[in-house]
Amino acid sequence: MKPRLPAVRPPVFKGRLHDARTATSIGRLLGVAIAICFGTGLISHYLQHPPGWLADYLPSRPSWGYRLTQGLHVASGIAAIPLLLAKLWTVYPRLFAWPPVRSVRHALERLSVAVLVAGAVFELLTGLLNTVQWYPWPFSFVPVHFAVAWLLAGALTLHVAVKYPDIKEHWSRKSPGTPALPAADGPDRRSFLTGVTAAVGAVTLTTVGQSFTPLKTFDVLAPRHPDHGPQSLPVNKTAAAAGVGQVDPAAYLLTVDGPRPYTLTLAELSAITQHASVLPIACVEGWSKSARWTGVRMTDLLRRAGAPPDARVRVTSLEKYGSYRVMEMGREYAHDPLTLLALTLNGQPLTPDHGYPARIIAPNRPGVLQTKWVTRLEVL
Amino acid sequence: MRTVVGAAGLALMAFGALMVWDQSTHWDVLIWLAGAVVLHDGVIAPLVVGVGFLVGGLKYRGLVRGALLAAGCLTLVALPVLLRPLPTANSSVLPLDYVRGLLISLAAVAVLAVLLGAGRWAWGRVGRADDPESR
Repeated sequence: MKPRLPAVRPPVFKGRLHDARTATSIGRLLGVAIAICFGTGLISHYLQHPPGWLADYLPSRPSWGYRLTQGLHVASGIAAIPLLLAKLWTVYPRLFAWPPVRSVRHALERLSVAVLVAGAVFELLTGLLNTVQWYPWPFSFVPVHFAVAWLLAGALTLHVAVKYPDIKEHWSRKSPGTPALPAADGPDRRSFLTGVTAAVGAVTLTTVGQSFTPLKTFDVLAPRHPDHGPQSLPVNKTAAAAGVGQVDPAAYLLTVDGPRPYTLTLAELSAITQHASVLPIACVEGWSKSARWTGVRMTDLLRRAGAPPDARVRVTSLEKYGSYRVMEMGREYAHDPLTLLALTLNGQPLTPDHGYPARIIAPNRPGVLQTKWVTRLEVL
Repeated sequence: MRTVVGAAGLALMAFGALMVWDQSTHWDVLIWLAGAVVLHDGVIAPLVVGVGFLVGGLKYRGLVRGALLAAGCLTLVALPVLLRPLPTANSSVLPLDYVRGLLISLAAVAVLAVLLGAGRWAWGRVGRADDPESR
């Protein structure tokens, strides 16, 4: 799929730029992309699946935090595709080495690099397919993508340690190893790096608009577009997929359990003081868009139930299927004045796909935890 | 220091491997991991070597290489949105005409590359005309 230099008849590579300086130049860019991807992936994982002791300390600010980190997660993963292919290309002569295994040490070295390559390709492939909700594999995506991320991070750390002398020798143009390479390769190497940068720019420009909305005009290849969806906001799970359909407003009842439990009809809920929040829906699949929501503050609902000021809350949806039917909210989110049980989106009542009649919207949280079709709150 | 970093890497790998092993489907994961290597080494790499063999000797090699790299990566990134089987029951997933999107992106790459190439060719002629040595 990629263009290449004259790589004449493997295993003998006469082609140029398969050298340590090129590998270092590409490798450090790839290293940065993978580090960003790994770090933002951990943030996403622990926001979505916090261990019990952490749940109350997850911060609700900045309100755009998850939008930024998850946008970066997917964008850095996509940017890593050209970088990974270019990095592997620089070491093609080793890939086609003959004989394939020379010694035990050589075998171990190849094995560690194989783990690195397998982990990197696997993570980028599964991540990219997850953004289009395509799961052609027989394992569950989240725990496996998470586990292999650690395997990859470890293999990369080991690789940097093993290659440290080579990296140091070729870090800059003036490093001792660089001038030892053919001088004529300099311009060619810069041209190659420019080409790789252009490829990174091309894949980023055509996809990043799904979360960085100022560039949405150029979003022609991302699985989501900020302007497509009911009420001009994309949806992750439709009312039909959740088995909810159209909720009858006359039959709807919100139950709030706590020291002073109560229930509210939709009319009563609408009669409580309404507040507005401008908050993004930011999905784990990388798309995000900000919107204006109005509804009742979570703190008001909790106070009315006699909840202590450090209470958590458990939220239950009307949805019939799905692992996010019941959601728990730590105290930072529950007591943030921006957190609403929202009834309207951009001035209109929620449509069924956006959680009619009432949904949660909280700052700095993954979209799957912005529970829709809310029917019950429990003070914990 | 290097030893410490290397050991830390091995520890992280062990942690990840244990988590993979914890999955009831760990053999499937291993097959897919091996498949990832086969996909790269067996399909992508030979293809790239082949393309490199064909275009490596061209005059504007760097430009052709950059354009093919960008076009190839755009195509790779577009494959999931183009090939995902079954329409989704959600109108906001895959809402765009991705064949059109990919063609526009590839055309933009081609036009830019041709303009750059033409610019270089013209610049080269001007440069030669100004240079008394080359007459």
